[in-house]
Amino acid sequence: MTGVLLSAQNLNLSFGGVQAVREVSFEVRRGEVFSIIGPNGAGKTTVLNLLSRLYDVEGGGRLVFDGEDITRIAPHDVARRGIARTFQNTELFEHETVLKNLLIGRHVHRRTHVLSEMLFTPAVARQEVAFRRIAEDVIDLLDLQHYRNQVIGRLPYGVRKLVEVARALCLQPSLLLLDEPSSGLNPEETEDAAFWIEDINQDFGATIIMVEHNMHLISVASNRVMAMADGAVLALGNPAAIQSHPEVVRAYLGD
Amino acid sequence: MELLQLLISGLSQGCVYGLIALGFVLIYKATEMVNFAQGDLMMLGAFLAYSFINLAGMPFGWGLLCAIAAMASLGVLLERIVLRPMIGEPPFAVLMITIGLGFVLRAGAGAVWGNEPRSIISPLAGGVVRLGELSIGYENLAIIGGTALLCLALFGFFRFTRLGIAMQAASQNQLAAFYCGIPVKRVFSIVWAMSAAIAAVAGVLLAPITLVDPMMGFVGIKAFAAAIVGGFGSFKGAMAGGLLIGVVEQLAGLYLPTGFSDTSAYLILLLMLFARPEGLFATMQRKKV
Amino acid sequence: MHFLFKTSYRQDTRLFRHNGQRFWYGLLLAGVLLVPFAVGDFYLGELALVFIYAIAGIGLMLLVGYTGMVSLGHAAFLAIGAYAHTWFLQLGWPLPLALFKATVITALVGAVVGLPAMRMTGIYLAIATLAFAVIVEQVIVHWESVTGGFRGIGVPEPMLFGADLGTPVAFYFLCLALLLLCLLLALNILRSPTGRAMTAVRDSEISAQSMGIHLARTKSLSFALSAGFTGLAGGLLAHQLGYLAPEAFTLLLSIQLLLMVVVGGLGSLHGVVFGALFIGLLPQVIAMARDLLPPAIGHTPGLEPGIFGLILILFLIYEPLGLYGRWLKIRQYFALFPLYRKSTFRRQKHFLRTERMR
Repeated sequence: MTGVLLSAQNLNLSFGGVQAVREVSFEVRRGEVFSIIGPNGAGKTTVLNLLSRLYDVEGGGRLVFDGEDITRIAPHDVARRGIARTFQNTELFEHETVLKNLLIGRHVHRRTHVLSEMLFTPAVARQEVAFRRIAEDVIDLLDLQHYRNQVIGRLPYGVRKLVEVARALCLQPSLLLLDEPSSGLNPEETEDAAFWIEDINQDFGATIIMVEHNMHLISVASNRVMAMADGAVLALGNPAAIQSHPEVVRAYLGD
Repeated sequence: MELLQLLISGLSQGCVYGLIALGFVLIYKATEMVNFAQGDLMMLGAFLAYSFINLAGMPFGWGLLCAIAAMASLGVLLERIVLRPMIGEPPFAVLMITIGLGFVLRAGAGAVWGNEPRSIISPLAGGVVRLGELSIGYENLAIIGGTALLCLALFGFFRFTRLGIAMQAASQNQLAAFYCGIPVKRVFSIVWAMSAAIAAVAGVLLAPITLVDPMMGFVGIKAFAAAIVGGFGSFKGAMAGGLLIGVVEQLAGLYLPTGFSDTSAYLILLLMLFARPEGLFATMQRKKV
Repeated sequence: MHFLFKTSYRQDTRLFRHNGQRFWYGLLLAGVLLVPFAVGDFYLGELALVFIYAIAGIGLMLLVGYTGMVSLGHAAFLAIGAYAHTWFLQLGWPLPLALFKATVITALVGAVVGLPAMRMTGIYLAIATLAFAVIVEQVIVHWESVTGGFRGIGVPEPMLFGADLGTPVAFYFLCLALLLLCLLLALNILRSPTGRAMTAVRDSEISAQSMGIHLARTKSLSFALSAGFTGLAGGLLAHQLGYLAPEAFTLLLSIQLLLMVVVGGLGSLHGVVFGALFIGLLPQVIAMARDLLPPAIGHTPGLEPGIFGLILILFLIYEPLGLYGRWLKIRQYFALFPLYRKSTFRRQKHFLRTERMR
């Protein structure tokens, strides 16, 4: 099923005097893995933050997701639309267990309200069971069984990154935003990342936008790559073309 | 004319709030800990000055200096015993521990000095300056003047001295400050000493107006509101907030029905929190993810 | 040591993790039900007060322990609940309805207080609640038609279907029953999406938002629930006190409630009960100790708050997990004997990284 899932048009954002994102426009097709690369400070994470509505787009920029203009929606409505994300420095719920974190990921699918929850009606009980089923599917996908009941605070970094992804998956998103999934991972874990990214894309059916530095992971996992530098788009194409693009090489290696 | 008179007393009361708020902000800027016991430190400073001046018979100036020195040492002691174990703990725990500290200080003061209000023998007592129809008490002048001097000194300290810059570093990223060789724990001790010293000065300045008794520290709560109105984390803000509340309180007493004067500090606080939560001089921003 | 094997998803959601728990709690319940036969009227009154504090503590714990929002003015909600309940009783409403209405009104006030809470963090919110409490106190003093102002008002005896529930035994059971109900409701909240949303807001607001949690609504709801429980406790407290006056609801009471939550153990309902026992029985202990101490210390008016402060400081430094935490450690010690390791419970230090930008 092809077709444009997300369209970002003329994204602009400045912090104080610094222009972090400059006239960035791109389209992401349904079902693809779309990577964003660039040297530090290029504005990649800022673009993700704009997409997930943590920052407001300035000027006349627009975000269109699945045919709907989401430029001005509230941050908590983003998840409702089916967009989930991970964070560069994991933002997990530190005092809860892995399972609880995943269950929070199911929040948008909640059909009960506070009064019935206080009484723990059968509908609430059924919902809890249904949530746990989905959470278990995700745990299976990412091999997190050992860590299910452990508190996040005691987990090693690599596992935390997986839990972040798992939590985002529990939302059953149509679009998954990954912010540097391989940063801080050892080579083995990075190899695994290539596999579960593919699993998420193929088996789970989620479109993925990925900010990454690891060129190997990008060339193996992505369909298309967008290179950024100094807040602007340098080039957009398939991994091989981008890697040999003269402007991209110059931005990374300097003149 | 009555208005101008009220303005002056509002300004001087506001200066006291501002001084206490300065003490808060000093500790907050340097350690990001909230010291709910600041008002009670002020109370202790006033009592110590009372002991030195009234009971031991020292001249006012020397008594004041001794009280400042004593409070500074007490500040270091408190930091070592009570606050040092709290490094690395969540801010809520630190807030609660300073609340507890406040209670202990109050009980201690009550046990040592008793609960009747005292007044400190002061060379400024009773003297008035007349400007036309205006009469300004010496105490009010002392408060306003003393506060201005202190603010200037603090400004210079943070801007120009090595220690001041080290404090700013320690407050922004403790671990990094450690790595840079800044003795973070010593910096904390010094900060607490300074804050306690400022509190002592505030106590002595306030004593002629409210008299010295263990409950004197409750003024600290209004000073807290002042610090927040001004923008917690900013010295200018602490002063501005204090002055604002001091003046509005006096005006409320004149123009509004009873009860409003007492609560005006809190109403301003709530208004500010509604309209502009960061305060007048904002220092808080969104966390960057 | 008990190894738990779960065989169904439902098992994960149950209130009791295994039959052993059911047994022990059942025993505890039996003990609590039999207490009136063993203990005199005075202690029954004290225990009823402990139950009332525990209900208020449930409210405060939901707010502070589970949503991470500090309230320095919770006594205000006790006051609102108490005065509202008394007002409705005087209008002639039956006891359950008056209590219910008082609870709802306090919850609504809590929701209103919670609305601006969205824009405030940590210390700002704490001070705002303090300011709120001061304002409520002023309202009580000046709204004489309802509250009787400084003079206060008497509280009618609690009557249900003609029976006087004001006797020590009956009141004890009334408070106990309501406490059990509140515990059940709170536990239900905590094991459902609402409770998880609250802890999400506490641990990371930004990622809570990315998971679709409406921050303002959750915070407001948390305030409402918290105020509601506390308001219910206030209604019961009105009967316990017999006479309401503004001096009954001071800053000291708010701090006592916080003390209960901290000393009991932040983040668990067990902690609430431990804490309530602690602050309920502490005044008795202090009263007894007063005569043993030298007169200079023993008779200062500030002694009780002074001791509260000291205990607070000691707990925060030496036992931050509270009484419940100590209980867990002791249990763990015996369960693992002789292989217990202190570092199992070691706290992680979080070095300060400021969120202030100039």
